[in-house]
Amino acid sequence: MLDTSMRLVVVLFAMGLLAHAEPVSYARQVRPVLAERCLVCHSERNPAGKLSLGSVAAMAKGGVSGPALVAGSPERSLLVQSLKGDKPRMPKSGAALSGQQVALLERWIAEGAKDDAAGAAPEVWWSLKPLRKPAVPGAGHPVDAFLRQRLSEAGLAASPEAGRRTLIRRLYLDLHGLPPSLEEIEAFVADRSPRAYEDLVDRLLASPRYGERWARHWLDVIHYGESHGYDKDKPRRNAWPYRDWAIEALNSDKPYAEFIREQVAGDVLYPANPKAYVATGFLAAGPWDFVGHQELKEGLTDKDNTRSLDRDDVVATVVSSFSSMTAHCARCHDHKFDPIPQQDYYNLQAVFAGVDRAETPFDDDPTVHQKRQGLLRAKRDIQLRLQPYLDKVELASTPEIVKLDSSIQDAGLLIVHMGEPKTDADRAKKKMLEERRVEDRKRRQELVDAIVGPETYAAIERIKAEFVPVDAELAKLPKPRLVYRATGFFTRMGNFRPPLEPRPVTVLARGNVRSPLGPASPGALTCVSGVNAKFTASSEEGQRRAALANWIADGRNVLTWRSVVNRVWHYHFGAGIVDTPSDFGRMGSKPTHPELLDWMAAWFRDEAGGSMKQLHRLLVTSAAYRQSSKNREDGARVDADNRLLWRMNRGRLEAESVRDAMLAIAGKLDLTIGGPSVEMFFFKDDHSPVYDYARFDPDAAGAYRRSIYRFLVRSVPDPFMERLDCPDPSVLTAKRSTTITAIQALALLNNPFVLRMAEHFAERAGTAEQAVKLAFGREATAAERELYGAYAATHGMVNLCRLLFNTNEFLFVD
Amino acid sequence: MDRRTFLWNWGGGLGGVALAHLLAGEGRGATGVHHKPKAKRVVQLFMSGAASQCDTFDYKPLLIKKAGEAFDPGEKVELFQSNPGVVMPSPWGWKQHGQCGKWISDLLPHTAGCVDDIAFVHSLLAKSNVHGPATFMQNTGFILPGFPSAGAWISYALGSESKDLPEFVVLPDPRGMPPNGAANWSAGFLPAAHQATTIRAGTPTPIYDLHAPASAKFINADSEREGLSLLEKVNRQHLAGREGDSRLEARIASYEMAARLQLSAPQVLDLNGESEATRKLYGLDSEITADMGRRCLTARRLLERGVRFVQVWSGADNGFPRRNWDSHENLEKDHGELGTALDKPVAGLIKDLKSRGMLEDTVVYWTTEFGRMPCSQGSLGRDHNPFGFTSWFAGGGFKGGVSYGATDAWSYKAVEKPVYCYDLHATLLHLLGLDHTRLSYRHNGIDRRLTDVHGEVIREIVS
Repeated sequence: MLDTSMRLVVVLFAMGLLAHAEPVSYARQVRPVLAERCLVCHSERNPAGKLSLGSVAAMAKGGVSGPALVAGSPERSLLVQSLKGDKPRMPKSGAALSGQQVALLERWIAEGAKDDAAGAAPEVWWSLKPLRKPAVPGAGHPVDAFLRQRLSEAGLAASPEAGRRTLIRRLYLDLHGLPPSLEEIEAFVADRSPRAYEDLVDRLLASPRYGERWARHWLDVIHYGESHGYDKDKPRRNAWPYRDWAIEALNSDKPYAEFIREQVAGDVLYPANPKAYVATGFLAAGPWDFVGHQELKEGLTDKDNTRSLDRDDVVATVVSSFSSMTAHCARCHDHKFDPIPQQDYYNLQAVFAGVDRAETPFDDDPTVHQKRQGLLRAKRDIQLRLQPYLDKVELASTPEIVKLDSSIQDAGLLIVHMGEPKTDADRAKKKMLEERRVEDRKRRQELVDAIVGPETYAAIERIKAEFVPVDAELAKLPKPRLVYRATGFFTRMGNFRPPLEPRPVTVLARGNVRSPLGPASPGALTCVSGVNAKFTASSEEGQRRAALANWIADGRNVLTWRSVVNRVWHYHFGAGIVDTPSDFGRMGSKPTHPELLDWMAAWFRDEAGGSMKQLHRLLVTSAAYRQSSKNREDGARVDADNRLLWRMNRGRLEAESVRDAMLAIAGKLDLTIGGPSVEMFFFKDDHSPVYDYARFDPDAAGAYRRSIYRFLVRSVPDPFMERLDCPDPSVLTAKRSTTITAIQALALLNNPFVLRMAEHFAERAGTAEQAVKLAFGREATAAERELYGAYAATHGMVNLCRLLFNTNEFLFVD
Repeated sequence: MDRRTFLWNWGGGLGGVALAHLLAGEGRGATGVHHKPKAKRVVQLFMSGAASQCDTFDYKPLLIKKAGEAFDPGEKVELFQSNPGVVMPSPWGWKQHGQCGKWISDLLPHTAGCVDDIAFVHSLLAKSNVHGPATFMQNTGFILPGFPSAGAWISYALGSESKDLPEFVVLPDPRGMPPNGAANWSAGFLPAAHQATTIRAGTPTPIYDLHAPASAKFINADSEREGLSLLEKVNRQHLAGREGDSRLEARIASYEMAARLQLSAPQVLDLNGESEATRKLYGLDSEITADMGRRCLTARRLLERGVRFVQVWSGADNGFPRRNWDSHENLEKDHGELGTALDKPVAGLIKDLKSRGMLEDTVVYWTTEFGRMPCSQGSLGRDHNPFGFTSWFAGGGFKGGVSYGATDAWSYKAVEKPVYCYDLHATLLHLLGLDHTRLSYRHNGIDRRLTDVHGEVIREIVS
């Protein structure tokens, strides 16, 4: 019996009928295992024992112990034999490979070790294929023509156009993040012009509210925050000029190529334009480890690690935001799924080797700005010559100096710990410690002086003197503004010192700063064909960033143009054509409409000249966008998650829109544009500052501003916004999730902001009928008038208004 | 995308699949268990600021023998902010306790009474010597911000056992937030439904927005009851013509759950019903231990009612005057105060869980971001030590009276069976019925895990 069933298995196996009988893929299954566990030591670049496991051919060729791979014979293949047994010989470090992994390798070898990665024509992943503009398949709006094709293949048709009230609310919330006013609704409903809708779209795109809404999307993508995160989460009080830049860039319809160039290297590429300088705040948007940068001494492992991870954040931000690729997956080993070698990743790090995140001065007047930046460059050059002498003094060390340092620190610690002394004994002790510290410092200075000699001090004085005329020139300039951005030159703070010029960057085995493999040189992703990904290793760090900016903005960079049109589509329709907007790699989703995506990307780049507003206009004027969101049985049966867009997606208002809409309906919304962020919390500076949202008056000055002007704290996000799915500002967020919880319901019922707005709303509305109109933009039905009227009569208008803020009709967009 | 995320995000198109049952807490999460669990719930005690292993659980006679001598472990010692001082024995004496004869310092006499229920791990390593990143690591497995904490992962995987209470609750130290603030218990990129609910035990408003503030005089019991019933009615009317959008139905259900939470939360936080003996057991009768005792007792009450993961913090940020375990200046004073405040409540929690039969399927998990150096910093303090420190577990399938791994003779470096928090998390998940390699969530191109690409279940400490 057993025998028979065994034989059956064998037969089924041979016929390929068992699920797991599909042959093992080198590219998809084997290479990821090797990349993660083996290639650190056995790569082409670094073949330990002369053995590279980087390709099937290299494995067959083998190393000093002979071939690692004998196709068809796992028994004779060292590759698997060295992984097996109680104490496997390989890998040398870390846990043994799992039984499953070893079995996978064995099966692949037994099946003949087929190489499906390096065949005659390796398959190019869709996102890296050349971008050609396909012909529009039919008449009418191009977007609809492409969508119609797929719908009819599925036996479906689009839904009819939504009513005007629905359309105007949808457009306002999409383009402005705010509901339309009653007057705007009535005017649109009454507009008999055949261009009524198009005119409305144009009006909305011309309003500054548009930039405020769409900049918020971009800030999600790049994880913009206004405090450092980590321990000692200090506020960044001068990050906001970048936020204002983003709003203005969208409102002025800056061509996308410029949008890219200014953010990556605006200071270098547009030296006469202070706004482009501010745009580099983009590179500093993410979190920053205050303690690691400012408190750790040079040379410590954690110091180097802090810097490496800081560059990692910049690389991840730039590449996932602009190129929709997960380059950061190649930090520890070659990317397991996409053609991104570790070398590419560290080459990208080398682009940012000369910058840190800090506040720097700028001027709105372009002439003054250029003058100041020139003088600062001169200071940088002087500092560069001065630094070696300063280091000589700072790093001078003998065993006695080390001892004195400990003693000086000890005194400091004890004094701090004591606080304000209360007893005579404590006072005496404090005095003793202070005196000891003075003595120690004096002695330390003598020792250092003896080591470095007077010539060092003379050199320092001589070079420092060069600052005097430059500083005098700077003093003549008007007071500058400040912006938090990426920079190579800033005032030293504690142990956080400016790089002055690019620091060396090496490829790191397993991402470990103590395991360098070889040098990295500025560059970008080599998998993008047709654009040179090798840059000059300039000692001027700005040139490196300029090269990357031009690489991304290049018309031939297929990732750039596909990425942006998909992002914009995602926000308009609620789901991207590629549903993973920041990952166009093998682990991401594939496009539902690849031709449409390519058509749009080429159209946006060529015909629209990178104009975002033209792209918005294209999408929102499509019939697909204008159709009803009503569910249909035929559609739900065939395409339940509406990937083919047989109806419009219904969306829940995002946290910012909930808050802004409440302010608007309450008649309190303050439409002041730009400026410092409003701190909608109680703040107390401390080791770790206190940010308390409960101690904030919702009627305080500035509290009625739009949500994009809220001050965004990383360590303690606003719980009200968080409960409405406002993302953590430390997470690169390509799309927000929509969760529905009891805690969220409580926030909408009881948060002091909601209650206060309900009071203002009630005062404004006066009657239940008017309240319904203001909240929903429509007349109340007879039944509603009765129900709401009765409730308001018994419990007051404020309670009714609070209730209206909790309705699904208010919180969802049809 | 797993089923639950799918439902949350795209409920709109699911025609007929209502989310109400998911919200009603029927006890299943995104993955459910992978194998039969031994533990159902976790209480994590987090010592913020880095609690010293060599003054608590990691006994090294060599430090007493070599007291005051130069600290020379035979290699260059890289410290966070100082140069190594002399060998500094613990200011507390050591005694053996329990059947297992475990050496515990006199700082923690009550905890010492529970050693036969505890599995100690003495060979922990941290990937950072800096509080912020290291605290992130113990919570999320990563030294960077933006990742989900263990509590969020477990909530995501297993959902709630309670119909009325959140899945993941945090009880911060009333003195303030730890380093990294609330980001330590973030849901990261997991759906916000898995973020922690913070309970400020013993304050007038322990849960944000649980009730309207008293200043909102227009709200009373009648307006609330009638208002919620009216809200449900209009939301149901709105649903007509929008059938098949489960999010709309879920929102209706969320108000029912909110009402239940409003009823159950005050009950669970009201400790008056606890017996005098229980209150004493947790140290509620003494000013020094009352706060920690209140929070440990609250933790038990939450767990008892089905909360999946409770995190209790001992210590705030690293500021002055010292309010956490970061004893750079004067270890005896600062560890002394924190240890005393901690000891009785934690022992009380273990004993109480045990006497109620709950310790069998409840894990008590004591941890900190890294340890402290066996040499002195200055004259009375200790600097950071990420090279070897201690965590411990009790209950929920962990063995009692065992010690795993070891540091060298100095308590300086983990030399025997070194592990990272990945291994602790893997073991914890294992006992909860979860395979840590299968509990993943796709974010920004990577299938992220609590254990990153690491982690081995430590079989030796699992019964």
